[in-house]
Amino acid sequence: MGAFHCKSCQNGDNVSNIFSQDVGERRRFIFGRRRSRSGSVRQTDSLVLQTLSIIKNLGLIENGTEAPEALQKLHWVADDGDGWIQVVLSMIHVIPLDDPLSPALITVILDDCPLPDKDTVMKLSQMLDLSNKTPKRKTVDQHRNICVILGILADKLPGPLSIALLTKDTLTYLFNNMDLQVHPSIILFSLIALEKFAQIRENRFTIETFMKTGPLAMLSIFERLTGSDQPFYAQVGFCAEWLLDNIFVDDQRTLSYLNISMDGVNAILNQEDASEYLKLGPSGLEARCDACSFESVRCTFQINKGTWYYEVTILTSGVMQIGWSTRNSKFVNHEGYGIGDDEYSVAYDGCRQLVWHGARCTSCVSGRPWREGDTVGCLLQVEKPSPTATFYLNGQIVAFNDKIFQYAKTEFFAAASFMTFQQSRFNFGSKPFKYPPKGVKFSIMNDHGQLDEKEKKILPKQMRLGLLGLLGKQTADEDSCTICFDHKADVMLYPCKHEGYCENCAQQLTLCPVCRQLIDRFQEIIPTTASTIVLVS
Amino acid sequence: MSVLPRRILKETQRLMQEPVPGISAKPDEGNARYFHVKVTGPEDSPFEGGLFKLELFLPEDYPMSAPKVRFITKIYHPNIDRLGRICLDILKDKWSPALQIRTVLLSIQALLSAPNPDDPLANDVAELWKVNEIEAIRNAKEWTRMYATEN
Repeated sequence: MGAFHCKSCQNGDNVSNIFSQDVGERRRFIFGRRRSRSGSVRQTDSLVLQTLSIIKNLGLIENGTEAPEALQKLHWVADDGDGWIQVVLSMIHVIPLDDPLSPALITVILDDCPLPDKDTVMKLSQMLDLSNKTPKRKTVDQHRNICVILGILADKLPGPLSIALLTKDTLTYLFNNMDLQVHPSIILFSLIALEKFAQIRENRFTIETFMKTGPLAMLSIFERLTGSDQPFYAQVGFCAEWLLDNIFVDDQRTLSYLNISMDGVNAILNQEDASEYLKLGPSGLEARCDACSFESVRCTFQINKGTWYYEVTILTSGVMQIGWSTRNSKFVNHEGYGIGDDEYSVAYDGCRQLVWHGARCTSCVSGRPWREGDTVGCLLQVEKPSPTATFYLNGQIVAFNDKIFQYAKTEFFAAASFMTFQQSRFNFGSKPFKYPPKGVKFSIMNDHGQLDEKEKKILPKQMRLGLLGLLGKQTADEDSCTICFDHKADVMLYPCKHEGYCENCAQQLTLCPVCRQLIDRFQEIIPTTASTIVLVS
Repeated sequence: MSVLPRRILKETQRLMQEPVPGISAKPDEGNARYFHVKVTGPEDSPFEGGLFKLELFLPEDYPMSAPKVRFITKIYHPNIDRLGRICLDILKDKWSPALQIRTVLLSIQALLSAPNPDDPLANDVAELWKVNEIEAIRNAKEWTRMYATEN
């Protein structure tokens, strides 16, 4: 791409030469997108769609490999504030609701593009016009995309920007979406956006204050959707329950792990053997990932020999890798390695119709891409003469693999990995199977497993971390002193005005750790709002 | 010995979870302030192909003062002396508590890629590096082969 070296050429003609491909005559003028820019807007739209199709064909972009050209171009467009807004608006406009990879696509693009500054974020917030009283002007897809983007930005932006983005309009918009009349995917991503905003203490306080005016009751209603047969509502239920158990904890409400009956359940997802950002439901049989990483978990039950089967109900149809692994398989969540990505595991990915082993994939022998509500069956035959892992979709064989047995002969666990915004429900045999494989005699993990009372209790994550003494570490990140990590960062150094240190450390400094300027004094920073609020976590 | 400061815990945790390519740093089993470090020789440097062992110690007042780092593997480098001591400004007067074990090791790796004979610690090496760089590089490669290669 010869024309690419000239980053400063903003001339419309040059730009259209660079982006030669076009997706046809789509002209949209909402959100104040001016007619004069429609050419380049269309090209940005096209780049977004190109990136989606590349991701579909290649799988998600791996670390270290060069980003696809379309993504590089988007990065280039987003290099200045207006360009970044253009990329975001294009995503809102063209990303289809029904594509299982679309929320992940938004994550990939926002991850790759430069971070915006405060003015840009505020400008975007205005252009989205979230206070708009007639939301019908936007389609379901667009609302869903807006919610996804708000959530990802809340997660990615530095604290002060995340606080700035949570305007009254944003908050009202998210709460207005909490209505069973609204499409469940909009409710879902509004809940996720709230969770991401609430990671910042100040935001959490703002949301909690606002919620007491009504929306809290809505969360309790949504919470009852947990376990629903309808995949979208099941996700809404899971996320609402998660918020109530972990983020907006109300003393009046019983935590869900105390309400759930675990009688007869002897094999669950192992909370001690899950990567850090995976969310486990209180039943221990449902897992979800909302982080921008590839989160994994193994079952509590260890298989040494014999033939075993379990089923998974897919509640989302994006990238998950479901199968078997030994303990040797490592969860490298941030690098995107999970089940199937090393020699010690094998997994089926029904989104891309692949079987993964040793980070290599082979195509499925038959079947179609999985859809929300489908049942995945995993059969493991450890015994000779022919050890095999077989995968089923709604009772039909879609794939098998025997290569894993070159590396592991015993000590297998049922295991799965989840890409961003993916969720599944597991059945290790505590309930009847929907599609037990015909003509195969297999054992059921739930019949052979054993769990003590403590192991059966899936405590809310916040509570568990608290018990492990890790909570300080988790919550201290956003505002703790960058030198000692022990105390709150609450002083500013003068004259350079750098911050991020506690009084104790500041006292020991003569030069600023960042700019090495001589410090002549430091002063406590007084938070602009809610200075005296102490929040219970 | 007092409780390990959270700063050190956090850094150790991150070093384990997200190791720096070409660098491994593991705390000693008996002393969490003492790290066993291995750095691979950077590509396109005379140290390519070598694996260099270092020791890194976090003094009591870390991060207010710099970690103490020393090469254990012999290395032919103008800024590293016979005893493995390293001439690197951030380990001395340019230390800042904003730096970390990770950044220190990255700087050392960078020093291997870009020797600086104008600020020498090993005078004889630096001298040769200035007057006959080809021969100095040949020596460095030879030492890498002799001392920093497994077989």
